[in-house]
Amino acid sequence: MNKKNLIDELKLTFADIQVNEDENGMIKIHAKKEQVKTILRYLKGNGYDHLALVSCVDWINKKEFELIYILTSYLNDNKSYQEKGDVYLKIRVTRGGPEVETVIGVFENAEPYEREIHELFGINFRGHPRLIPLFLEREYDVPPFRKDFDTRKYVEDFFNSIPVIPEEKT
Amino acid sequence: MREVELFFGPQHLGMVGNFSITLNVEGDKILKATANPGFLHRGFEKLMEYRTWMQNFPLVCRINVVEPDHMEMAYSMAVEKLAGIEVPERAQWMRSIYLELARVGSHLFGLWAYSNMLGFDTVAQWAMYHRDLILDLFEELTGGRVYHIYIWPGGVRRDFPKGFTDKIVETLHSIGKCVPDYNNTFFNNPLFYERTRGIGKVTREEAEKWGGVGQVLRATGKPFDIRKVEPYAVYDKVDFDIPTREDGDVYSRIMVIRDEMIESVHLIFKLIEGLPKGEVYNKVPNPFKWKIGEGESYVRVESSRGELGLYLVSDGGDKPYRVHFRTPSYSHGLTILEKVLEGANISDVGNIMISMYVVAPEIDR
Repeated sequence: MNKKNLIDELKLTFADIQVNEDENGMIKIHAKKEQVKTILRYLKGNGYDHLALVSCVDWINKKEFELIYILTSYLNDNKSYQEKGDVYLKIRVTRGGPEVETVIGVFENAEPYEREIHELFGINFRGHPRLIPLFLEREYDVPPFRKDFDTRKYVEDFFNSIPVIPEEKT
Repeated sequence: MREVELFFGPQHLGMVGNFSITLNVEGDKILKATANPGFLHRGFEKLMEYRTWMQNFPLVCRINVVEPDHMEMAYSMAVEKLAGIEVPERAQWMRSIYLELARVGSHLFGLWAYSNMLGFDTVAQWAMYHRDLILDLFEELTGGRVYHIYIWPGGVRRDFPKGFTDKIVETLHSIGKCVPDYNNTFFNNPLFYERTRGIGKVTREEAEKWGGVGQVLRATGKPFDIRKVEPYAVYDKVDFDIPTREDGDVYSRIMVIRDEMIESVHLIFKLIEGLPKGEVYNKVPNPFKWKIGEGESYVRVESSRGELGLYLVSDGGDKPYRVHFRTPSYSHGLTILEKVLEGANISDVGNIMISMYVVAPEIDR
């Protein structure tokens, strides 16, 4: 299925999603968080079989997190890739008590990505088999990759003070 | 027999790099493996949100110690895409030469790690020496041996010095002369063959299911390479092959790495032949006042480990709003490694891990 067909089909299959193609040829889908698993399964069935990245952006002014699933396909040559393109699937989650369903059932390699986002942004993935820490050593009040995490305050609290750099003698 | 929990790494003879795996073993058979990263987590992606677009280059390099050059390329491409900057033709050719040199250097380092782990110390020393010859070239070109910051938005930092391409050819020929020695001592050695055949097998379906890229996928017979799929720099203007093997085991992966090195050297010769004349960079705005309009970009390059992606978001300010690197070692080290180690022998842990080219700093970032 090529790009044009996919956009039409997606609009037909799923009711309340926005699909558009940007100037770089990327297909962008904005959907509700309940639809993630269904859309990903649909896309995987249509040849977008490589989940390249699951990422998260903290839009603090809009009081939302944006989760981005970047899908490409395992195609060998440029010509067939050009026809297919990449897909960005985006969902918005409110900042208070964020929770999304896990997509491990569709893409197994989403497991560490979701673990990382859980640890660094504090988003809970329902149904994830092990949401245990990945990188960090200790607990934080505010997950460290959120925009309201105050790095300076954390250093002051944790190390009691910030080491003063002595002024150079002239 | 009793089940024992065993901590493998970060300080272990069979482990190269700061990475640890918790193994549940029965005798010397592994029942369950849990990857345990985080020893090198420096929060680069967060740090980069506090620095201007150009200030981020020294951080970008340090994400992967072994091959900082592909990281520079990914970051430059993402910034260029966001800001709409054109790159001169000559700079694109020079970038390709530079990236291929980095690939050869990185593969030689990988060969060092692998042969060292397997006990072939002589081969390890040769590989390290030959990598050093390539680092000398980088030093002459950029002033730095390991971290170069040569590629940046708008082109490359400066033109090749006089007679530099001849020096590249000379160095590569001197390394190429030793390929028969490498073959006789290592690649055709029955010991290497015995230790690697049928070990750490990944089928093509499994590799695709678990997000495998690079050697892991090419060792199963699929010629998946970003240089062909989504060509950047001038990879669509030169002809080159993607080496593959069929079996998907450690042997296939190491042989793919060997073949890739040789292919890269041939590619560099072709690139040097076609190198056009002209400008090497387009001017970018004052780095201290440079603001990039709102937007997002995802770019991919083929690093020596596989698909390296960068997701970059700008909110219209002078600093990135969000940076996220999709590194090839991430899926290989955290998903595939755990699955492949189940049922393997303890003595093969390092063997399987290094054949997948897992580099710890790339995972932790």
